[in-house]
Amino acid sequence: MTVLARDRYAVAIVGAGIVGLFTAYRLARAGAGPVLVVDRGFLSGGASGRNGGGVRQQWETRATVRLARESVADYRAFGREFGYNIWFRQGGYLFLADTPSELEKLRGVTEIVRAEGLPARLLDADGVDSLVEGLARGAVVGGAYLGSDGTLYPFPAVWGVYEAARSLGVEVALGVEATGVTQRDGRVTGLVTSRGSVAADRVVNAAGGWSGDFARRAGLPVPNVATRHEILATEPMKPFLDPMVVRASDGLYLSQTMRGELVGGLSLPHPPGTGGGMSTSPQFLPRMARTVTALFPALGALNVLRAWSGFYDDTPDGLPVLGEDPRLAGFVHANGFGGHGFMLAPATSRRVAAAVLGTASDLDPALFGPGRFLDPRRAAPVERLQLG
Amino acid sequence: MVEPAGPSFTFEGRRYPIPPGGTVLEALAADGLPSFQRSPRYHRPRAPLCGLGHCTGCLVRVGGRPNVRACRYSPADGDVVSTRNAWPSRRFDLLAAFDLLFPSGIDTLRGFRRPAWARGLYQAVVRRLAGFDGPPSPDAASGPVDPPTVRRADVVVVGAGRAGRAVAERLVAGGRAPLLLDRGRSAPAIPGAELLPDTTVTFLPPPGPADPPFSLLGFTEPARGLWIRAREVVVAVGSYDAALLFGSNDRPGVLTADAAFALDRPGAAPAFRAGVVFGAGPRARAVVERMGDRIEALIAPGAVPPELVRACSDAGIDLHPRSLLLAAHGRRRVRAVDICARARGPVARLPCDAVVLAHRRLPHVPILFQAGARMQWRPEPGAYFPVADSSGRTTVPGLWVAGSVAGPSTDPAADGDRVARHLLAGGPAPGAPPASLPSSPAEAPPAPPFPGEMDGYYRELLRLPRRGRWVACPCEDVLLEELEAVPQRGYRGVEVAKRYSGLGTGLCQGRYCLPDALLVLSILEGRPPADVGYITQRPPVVPTPLSALAALDPIAATDGGP
Ligand SMILES: Cc1cc2nc3c(=O)[nH]c(=O)nc-3n(C[C@H](O)[C@H](O)[C@H](O)COP(=O)(O)OP(=O)(O)OC[C@H]3O[C@@H](n4cnc5c(N)ncnc54)[C@H](O)[C@@H]3O)c2cc1C
Ligand code: FES
Repeated sequence: MTVLARDRYAVAIVGAGIVGLFTAYRLARAGAGPVLVVDRGFLSGGASGRNGGGVRQQWETRATVRLARESVADYRAFGREFGYNIWFRQGGYLFLADTPSELEKLRGVTEIVRAEGLPARLLDADGVDSLVEGLARGAVVGGAYLGSDGTLYPFPAVWGVYEAARSLGVEVALGVEATGVTQRDGRVTGLVTSRGSVAADRVVNAAGGWSGDFARRAGLPVPNVATRHEILATEPMKPFLDPMVVRASDGLYLSQTMRGELVGGLSLPHPPGTGGGMSTSPQFLPRMARTVTALFPALGALNVLRAWSGFYDDTPDGLPVLGEDPRLAGFVHANGFGGHGFMLAPATSRRVAAAVLGTASDLDPALFGPGRFLDPRRAAPVERLQLG
Repeated sequence: MVEPAGPSFTFEGRRYPIPPGGTVLEALAADGLPSFQRSPRYHRPRAPLCGLGHCTGCLVRVGGRPNVRACRYSPADGDVVSTRNAWPSRRFDLLAAFDLLFPSGIDTLRGFRRPAWARGLYQAVVRRLAGFDGPPSPDAASGPVDPPTVRRADVVVVGAGRAGRAVAERLVAGGRAPLLLDRGRSAPAIPGAELLPDTTVTFLPPPGPADPPFSLLGFTEPARGLWIRAREVVVAVGSYDAALLFGSNDRPGVLTADAAFALDRPGAAPAFRAGVVFGAGPRARAVVERMGDRIEALIAPGAVPPELVRACSDAGIDLHPRSLLLAAHGRRRVRAVDICARARGPVARLPCDAVVLAHRRLPHVPILFQAGARMQWRPEPGAYFPVADSSGRTTVPGLWVAGSVAGPSTDPAADGDRVARHLLAGGPAPGAPPASLPSSPAEAPPAPPFPGEMDGYYRELLRLPRRGRWVACPCEDVLLEELEAVPQRGYRGVEVAKRYSGLGTGLCQGRYCLPDALLVLSILEGRPPADVGYITQRPPVVPTPLSALAALDPIAATDGGP
């Protein structure tokens, strides 16, 4: 089976999801030296192969809006850069409000997004109806919409970045588990894996829902929590739904892929941690079916093909964790993406690569840095728009 | 034309009498083999392949309800049946130009990237090509018509074929009250057992630790949800005939023996008049015995056993043992096949109007994968089977298997009876692992030697020049070349192959593409099929309407139910 090609790397990355692969690609392009990515599973076996493919720029934090906007530009250019067609369709993201107070919250979001120069709009019920066919009468009081948000196919994005990274010399070792790090004098010196130890000057924790586990194995307690999120796909049909539809009150999101399937999920109160596995719970199918048919009464006759689940990697403030850990030099975080790692990976990986290389970036450490959780005064959630 | 007097439905403006208890397909098949569907990417004409309600060959729209299986749906008086996946009409489909314009396939993975300004146009076109039909129309919204159903059962028997019926009968005789489920419409009742016809089930993790070990989610056609808790489950879902890879293997007229039997009804016009059979086992023999007068030739991947040689010569059927089936000819319907003797024999063309696939009988295992039973690859017939002892116990406590889903079976009724006797004798208490079975993969019996007959067959076939489209996944129109590209680009394992190529993601959920895909990947990756893996079976496994799922009570599902 897989044996690692070298015994010393400049950077060892844990996790071959979209975050780890994008980071590896950027590092290789910057000439960082030998880069290793290990993953204990198969390619796309984590959240990067289990998500809804939504890409949005409507956020409550201006810094996130900017990162998302940069990622949208990256994904638009993806075909040229990586040779794969990810079918990034900018059909918009429509946030539904089912009460006036929800609509008020959305107004605040729209203002922030507009302040960043993106033409987000607040809609009344008629405005929502004009964008979506077949909504139940009286289901919503209004919504927020940005037409340049959209959806993409996660898989070809993974293949494209994987192949590009490998062609730049990155070694991707599948079926290899990272079990910890070696360190000396407060500095990372290597990665311990199920295939032995290798020397590495930097270790990047891009283990997605398992990043909290890996950080703890490296002796660094972090507040990341894995939460299980379920999702389903229906049989395909001809185009019917243009935007991605999301609703804050129950975490519902629903979009129609280029293949014609409806893909969507909602939030259920699963116990935290990865113990629940990545299958379907007994509650999910009935709840999702009730929610979808209440919102779109005509869809009752539509067949569900399959359901599955994956893990969000949640943080207390809803923002990702990016950058070097102040407790251990050379240990760099690229995790805590919640349900939005796919849409943020192109832009955040640039900052993470800069952190690895020790070069400057525009990233505000107070917002995104791992050190923020070491400060007990900072606990208030910052990014509450945690869905779709 | 004479208008039918009794109950009838209309299809393309014409009225069809409803055969008593019959399906739309049976009614339309009165004129021969109906071909009313088009494939999703290339708009190739398609006809029923499976006859079992799994493929996409017989999808129709009934009123406002899309993607109804004509082979499973019993029409009601006044139903309007139509098909939509063609433009401007079913007979003359301009979209079939895609088949001619893209002889080496539409590359949705890497193609359509340039020029950037055309992206919107590409997206609009590709989006419209997706799917077989539009969304349901509002009048199709039945909603949860019936009250939600939650059941508790002592023993559930899934499958009312010979094995399942024998299990149920023996359990009744032993004083138990089994609940017997079947996807089919017409299983006869068994006194003492409750029978739910038209019902499909799938396993879910149990709602809570205190609940009986099994939680089954099901639905009864057309749209009634069902939730069952059971202490023990006997899976007796049987087996089905596999598809086959060859050129134009998706042509109308290529059908499995299951479909040939389903379409062979007294009074109906035969689906074919001059077919060829592929295979040489008991299934091929059954085809020869029942439809020998409509079979011209028998093509076998290996030797033909003496009894079958005799049966064929009695029926005047030509024999082509140790042969490769290379390609089918004909645009709207099979007109001939090319074959060649193995080890580079010359190519011969056999005129025919159908290819009946009867070479490989596969167990319906998705439900067992889903239940978490340990599975093992068997080179003959080239499929995963549950690891089970002779009493039918699987590695999951309380889960039993009986009949041909457990292994090739000569007497399913006797198997069912034996399994039920063991079950009555008292299996181990739920929770305790069966004593006679290995509790970890390391202790599992050694895998039987690899490879099997179809492995050698494909090794030889895949090296030959090809003609026509080789459709590896008919539901999604994935071509063999697209599957082969996956290992060629350095990816390994069937889970990645599925995500890379789209194979196995369609309506049949891999039943007709995975068995061959595993063999192809095993050959190209140079490791046994068991190492290539299997795709995770995700509920509900069989397409289930949202309204049926919505009818289930999620509260009952979480805290123990009524
Ligand atoms: C149901 C669902 C829907 C989602 N919808 C969206 C969406 O619409 N838009 C969006 O942007 N995001 C969405 N997300 C979130 C998004 O998928 C993730 O944020 C993103 O994929 C994270 O990428 P990653 O590379 O960090 O993690 P992953 O893709 O999970 O990769 C982490 C990898 O690390 C490996 N690993 C873990 N521990 C170890 C170890 N110790 N050693 C070796 N390998 C290890 C795992 O095997 C895994 O492959 C969704 C997520 C889910 C679950
Ligand atoms: S023939 Fe009806 S689904 Fe295959």
